Order: sequence, then structure tokens, then C-alpha cells
Amino acid sequence: MIFFILKRLMQIVPVILGVTLVVFLIMQMVPGDSAVILAGEGASKETVEELREDLGLNKPLHEQYFSYIGNIFQGDLGHSLKNNQPVLEEIMIRLPITMELAFFSILITVVLGLIAGIISAVKPYSFSDIGVMLVALLGISLPSFWLGLLLMYIFSIKLQWLPVAGWDSMAHIVLPAITLGAGGAAIVARMTRSSMLEVVGQDYIRTARAKGLKEHVIIYKHALRNALIPVITVVGLQFGGLLGGTVLVESVFAINGLGRMIVDSIRTRDIPMVQGGVLVASLVFVFVNLLVDTLYRVFNKRIDLN
Amino acid sequence: MSNDVVLEVKNLKTHFISSKGIAKAVDGVDFVLRKGETLGIVGESGCGKSMTSLSILRLIPSPPGKIVDGEVLLNGKNLVTMPNAELRKIRGNRISMIFQEPMTSLNPVIPVGEQIAEALRLHQGLSKKAAWAKSVEMIGLVGIPSPEKRAKQEPFQLSGGMRQRVMIAMALACTPEVLIADEPTTALDVTIQAQILEIMKDLQRKIGMGIIFITHDLGVVAEMCDQVAVMYAGQIVEHQNTAELFKNPLHPYTQGLIGSLPKLYEDQDELQIIEGTVPSPYDYPEGCRFAERCPFARSICSEKQPDLIQYDEESKVRCWKYTNEWQVSLTKELVTT
Ligand SMILES: Nc1ncnc2c1ncn2[C@@H]1O[C@H](COP(=O)(O)OP(=O)(O)O)[C@@H](O)[C@H]1O
Ligand SMILES: [Mg+2]
Repeated sequence: MIFFILKRLMQIVPVILGVTLVVFLIMQMVPGDSAVILAGEGASKETVEELREDLGLNKPLHEQYFSYIGNIFQGDLGHSLKNNQPVLEEIMIRLPITMELAFFSILITVVLGLIAGIISAVKPYSFSDIGVMLVALLGISLPSFWLGLLLMYIFSIKLQWLPVAGWDSMAHIVLPAITLGAGGAAIVARMTRSSMLEVVGQDYIRTARAKGLKEHVIIYKHALRNALIPVITVVGLQFGGLLGGTVLVESVFAINGLGRMIVDSIRTRDIPMVQGGVLVASLVFVFVNLLVDTLYRVFNKRIDLN
Repeated sequence: MSNDVVLEVKNLKTHFISSKGIAKAVDGVDFVLRKGETLGIVGESGCGKSMTSLSILRLIPSPPGKIVDGEVLLNGKNLVTMPNAELRKIRGNRISMIFQEPMTSLNPVIPVGEQIAEALRLHQGLSKKAAWAKSVEMIGLVGIPSPEKRAKQEPFQLSGGMRQRVMIAMALACTPEVLIADEPTTALDVTIQAQILEIMKDLQRKIGMGIIFITHDLGVVAEMCDQVAVMYAGQIVEHQNTAELFKNPLHPYTQGLIGSLPKLYEDQDELQIIEGTVPSPYDYPEGCRFAERCPFARSICSEKQPDLIQYDEESKVRCWKYTNEWQVSLTKELVTT
């Protein structure tokens, strides 16, 4: 197990190289010149050139890239082009907010998804099953920004139960977390249902029944634990989509998180901020995947650990 | 052998109802099981052995399966009509089952010791600790070395033979009155099979339960069973004690089965194998279900279904050959030709 974790941690290095390279190249390809944007409208040619020189943007691309990489491994993500703040500091202000949002969203994905999936699977093709699965289908098909606006309209504007936007109290977390977690919850619900239905037909469930166990013990002790194994993988995959989703949801609810920071930085061609943001988001993703895979192995010991 | 009946099955009918029609998997099965006795149920695959055994504890997959008629009496109480809560107190406690598939019949994510202990806590009200201790004891009793260690392991860490021993330990933990073993050794290799059978016999002597032993292997029947019921197409066609059955098989189907056994000390020119195929449970013929394959079949056989009749005090057979009607139809045919 430790060997497995170490091996996975080693994979972080190529991830850093890959992500930075891709972001670096993309930012070079998109139209718009950082120096021009930064200098502001009506700035003279000389000012722009001076700025370019200061920022090192006139050096050859590979040189820019390698000096950036070298700095990363020393823990230096550079400075924002906009306000000259260290990128790492800017990220660290926003990362906890995004992590909090992601945490509550995944909580909703897991809890809501599991409950819905179990309700469906216990009585397949019943009224409750069909109802739950219809809602799940809706949850998968609705775009999250649309769902966000809809929820905001109903609960914040019409009913005035919850705040419209911002990030100050638990009440602020509710709508964004639901918006972000709903799609995943729907997928988890469907996965849980099909996985449960498969498990319930297995021989060992018949054995459990032959033992005289009560139906709820059979479902929660004998079936669910086996059914969860594939669900864990799905939750892990959802987390990737979730990080992407923060970009939209943070914009809709005006939350000052990492996702919105990246979007704003792309708009102003603040390359170090974009690179830093994407890099940190990728690292978070890698760590969560490692966590999920480790959990998966704990749950399913039959897998060869190597 | 004492004569008290533990389990009595009367006219049991389990049908599978689907868009394809009605499959009469079990179609009027009767037998009794006495205390401490082993009753073998033999027959080709698909003849309804498993569905008969699953019907006893109402474990058939439903839908599409349904017990449409009959009674299963445990010491006189009918399990077919019993409320679920009451039946649960019998399952795994007074009647236990062992299944054919040791690889898939244990829960893959629960330590085997716990899978035994949970039945003990449920039925005997043992504490967590006491149930675990008893569970370890049972694992030792079925001949698994270092039971403390094995009890904590999950099924994937055990061999097929060991898993089947765990199944036996689980089934016998609450000292049931009846053990139903559905082809318990079919999936195991021959040496392991012999060990498992030995353990079952040994524990039967200790616990004194009646065993319903399902198999398609007549060699295993000879070794294990006191009585034998031969099944064909959802029905019992012959019921005798084991020695008598091998010496004097009554039903042409049984004769065919025994004839197809390779005999060790006789020079045999060829293995006798019954020709033809089993009729579909969706569409049984009107007369005797074996008539099509039977070397003795006459016109009466395809016209009317024979009953399971008492041949002598101990034996029953479902065949026209042993009835008065047979003689009548024989003379009729002689007269007309
Ligand atoms: N789920 C099912 N749906 C329809 N028919 C079934 C089902 N399960 C079993 N049967 C029918 O029951 C018959 C008896 O099966 P079974 O008792 O398993 O035979 P065996 O004697 O080999 O144990 C089969 O021939 C099959 O037609
Ligand atoms: Mg079978």
C-alpha cells in the first residue's frame, strides 16, 4: 500500500511538467498581448516595450518556460502581471474558498446520490424508483449555470430564504454547493442503483437471506458495501468535473474562488496567475484521485496492490 | 434409525411465470425427511433439484418464480404460508443451506468469521464476543487449520475447498434440524470432495440433523445417502432406500442412470447412455414425461400421466409398468394384433 502511494506521488512531477507546458503553449497561442493589455489603452509603444522587457516577455519561449519551471520547483510561482502580488499568495487566499465549495458539493453528490440510488434500488420499477430516476435524468441534463440561476431565482429572489451571492456564511454555501453537486448526485444515484441491482442478484445475497437476516441488514451490510466499490470510482471522476464546474458556479454566485481567479486572469492575459491557478487545481485533482484510489483499494482488497 | 419425520414436502409446485410462458420447474414433489437421515435427490441438470430445495425456505427468485401449490411442513408447521418474520427465524437456524458455488456464495467484503458469527448473534442471541468465539470454533470443527487467523480473512484469501468448509460451518453453527446441501461438492476436485463429504457425515453424527443431499452424481449418493429420490422433469419418479435403488432400480429412467455408470469390475462393452432429451418445462407432454426416451413405452404412456405409486412398503415409483392398467393395455394390444 505504501509502495503504491509513493509510486503515485512520483507521478506528480510529470503532471506538473505536462500541465505547465500545455497552459504555457495555450496562453502563447491565444490572441492578445499581455504587455499591451497591462500598459492600458493609449500607452505609448515605448512603455509597452519597456514593460515587455521588465516582464521577460521578449526572451525566447523556451527560456521563458524553463525559467518558469525552475522557479516552480523552488516553490515560486511568479508574480501577478496585474498587481505584482506573488501568485502563490493570491492562490492561497482563494484556494480554501474553492475547496470548501468543492467539499460541500461532493458531500451533496455523495449523500444525495447514495440515498436516491438506494431508494430506487430497493424497489425497482416502483413509483419511487421511476420518480427518483426521472429527477436524476433532469439533474444530468441541466447545465449547472442554468440550474444555479434557477435556484437563485426561486430561493433567493422569490422566497428570499437564502442570500443571492457572496461567501460569508453557511447560508451562502447552500445554493452553490447544490448547483455544483447536483449533476454528480444524479450520476452517483444512477450508478448506485444499477450497482445495487446487480449485487442483489449475487449468490452471497441468497446466502445472507438463507441465514435468516432481515432485509435491511441484507441491503446495508451485505449489498451496499459491495455496490459501493464501483460508485467510489464514479465519485472520484466527478471530482474532476467538479473542479471545472467551480469556474462557472463561482462566476454565477460571485464567489471569489480559484476558478473565478483563473477566468479573470485569462481575460487580462495575466499568464503567471493562469498558470499558477491551473497548476494548483491540477495538483488538487491528482491528490484527490490518489485518495480515491487508496479508498478503492481499502474497500476492495481483492485488487492486487501492485 | 428413528422414524420421526422432521420435514415433509407435499405436492410442491414451483412455477416460473414470464412472457415466455409458464415453466413448471417443480411440479408436484412429495417426500419426507426423517431425523438423522440423509435423503438424496438425484437427476439430470435442469430437472428441478435446486428449485425444489430453494422452495423449501422460499428462496426462489421472485418474480418470476412462485410457489403455486403444496406444503412444506417442518415438524408439522407449514413454511409456505408462514409470515416472513417467522420464516426468518427458521432460515439458518432450524433449516440451513449449502450451495453449489463456494466461490460466489460468501460475501467478498466481509471476514468469513463475521459471516458465521452474525447468524449466531441473530438466532442464538450470543454476544459479539461469544459469537466470534463460537464462529472460530466452528471453523476449526470443519477442519480448517489456524481458525483464529482464517476467521479474520476475507473469502478471496481462502481456497475453494476452504470456502465450502466455511459454508458448512456457517450452515451448522446454529445446529439445525435440517441441512439442505445443493451439489456441495460439484465444483470441487475429487480429493477435496471426499474430505468435505467426510466432514458432513461426521457432523451429522454429532448434531443429528437430517440432510437433503442434492447431486447428479450417483457415486456420491451411494456414499452419502440412506434414501434416494430420483427427479425427472420437475417430478419425483422413484423413491427407494439407497441399497435397494442400486440393486433393483424400478423406473426405466433410474435404470438408465445406473446403467450409464462405469462399473469397475465388469467388462463393459459400452457405456449405456439414455438417448433423447429432457422435455422443456414450458411444454411437458400429456402422458409420462419420460415416455419419449423410454425403451418400454407403450400407448398408455403417452396418453396419461402415471402417479407416484407405492411399489412396496419402502419404495415408490412413477411408471405405468407397475400398475394394473399396464397389464390391461398389454392384453388389449395382444387382442388387437
Ligand atoms: N429464473 C428462472 N426463470 C425461468 N425458469 C427458471 C428460472 N430458474 C430456473 N428455471 C427453470 O427451472 C428448471 C429447474 O432448474 P433447477 O432447479 O436449477 O435445476 P437443477 O436440477 O439443475 O438444479 C430449469 O429447467 C429452468 O427451466
Ligand atoms: Mg442445481
